[in-house]
Amino acid sequence: MATENPILKPLLSGNHKASSKIVTDMMSESVPVKEIYERVLKPALYEVGELWEQNKISVATEHLASAIVESLMNEIYLQLRTSKKPEKTAVVTCLENEHHQIGARMVSDIFELNGWNVYFLGANTPQNDLLNYIRMVKPQLVAISLSIYFHLPTLESTLNQISSEFPKLQVLIGGQAFLRGALKILSNYPGITYLPDLNAIENFLIQYKHGL
Amino acid sequence: MDYKYLAETAGKIPAADKNAVNEYREKSEYLIAGINKSMSERHDLKELIGENNLAMMKDNHANHVRFIHSILKNPNAEVLTDTVLWVFRAYQNHGFAANYWAAQLNSWFHILKRELSPESYRQIIPLYEWMQVNIPLFEKLSNKTTEPGLSNH
Repeated sequence: MATENPILKPLLSGNHKASSKIVTDMMSESVPVKEIYERVLKPALYEVGELWEQNKISVATEHLASAIVESLMNEIYLQLRTSKKPEKTAVVTCLENEHHQIGARMVSDIFELNGWNVYFLGANTPQNDLLNYIRMVKPQLVAISLSIYFHLPTLESTLNQISSEFPKLQVLIGGQAFLRGALKILSNYPGITYLPDLNAIENFLIQYKHGL
Repeated sequence: MDYKYLAETAGKIPAADKNAVNEYREKSEYLIAGINKSMSERHDLKELIGENNLAMMKDNHANHVRFIHSILKNPNAEVLTDTVLWVFRAYQNHGFAANYWAAQLNSWFHILKRELSPESYRQIIPLYEWMQVNIPLFEKLSNKTTEPGLSNH
């Protein structure tokens, strides 16, 4: 496995400062946040998962690396803030029992960068609480992240409830669970769009803004 | 060729009907408790799972039931084949012996027979038979590397 990603080593050794410097340098070079996520943080997290799979790192090290990535995203987030008033609202969430939230958080930041008001509900959001939240904030879009295939029945149950109560609400779906072709399930639900990565999400939001 | 064989044969596993899938889901906690008890009582457990892996074994059993329920509900030959290969690879890398899979699947046959109605058992067992007969192939193929970004962890 290639380990050329410069942030991998500091993440695995718990060196927050060195990890932060890599991200800060990229931001000072005006590398877009989406690129930092797609080209550096996401591949690093995939490599961390593969190192656990190969028994080269422990769960503790894996959690450490994930925690540092989340703190780097906090640092990045402080620089995302804009005084522009958002016009549209989105809810970004993980499903019930889904504990991998970093991907959804990246999605949430891409929404904000594109001028959206985002409610990021995080990991393991109970289905009824998600529905209550949609009722409360009345978003234009809901984005749901699913990293593990065995959460598909929960996704289907959630989509059934959303399409029944909010038939016009557009739902975006993404996450690693779909990398092996679970997409045909989504064709059973109208108004669902699968977006495989942050580039696709950004393109979707640009088109959405222009009413395409 | 071996992978193609696994995916093709996975695609031929008869689909279980809705009642059987629902019964599997409704009894999932009993199934998990049953397999944990059955495996934990084995005198050769340490040889099968290695040192300090009891929690990981129990995680595997809980994830097994959730995953099998997903596959019964939404059959997908590629997902099934890739996931079983990933499980073999990840758990063997963490010290689980090759014999663990045969021991675990044998226990599943007993527990499913005990917990499920005869009709649900008849409908669900072909999936377990497919895993059981293909253990040697899974072992052989699981030594290959994961495609980047396709880790299940």
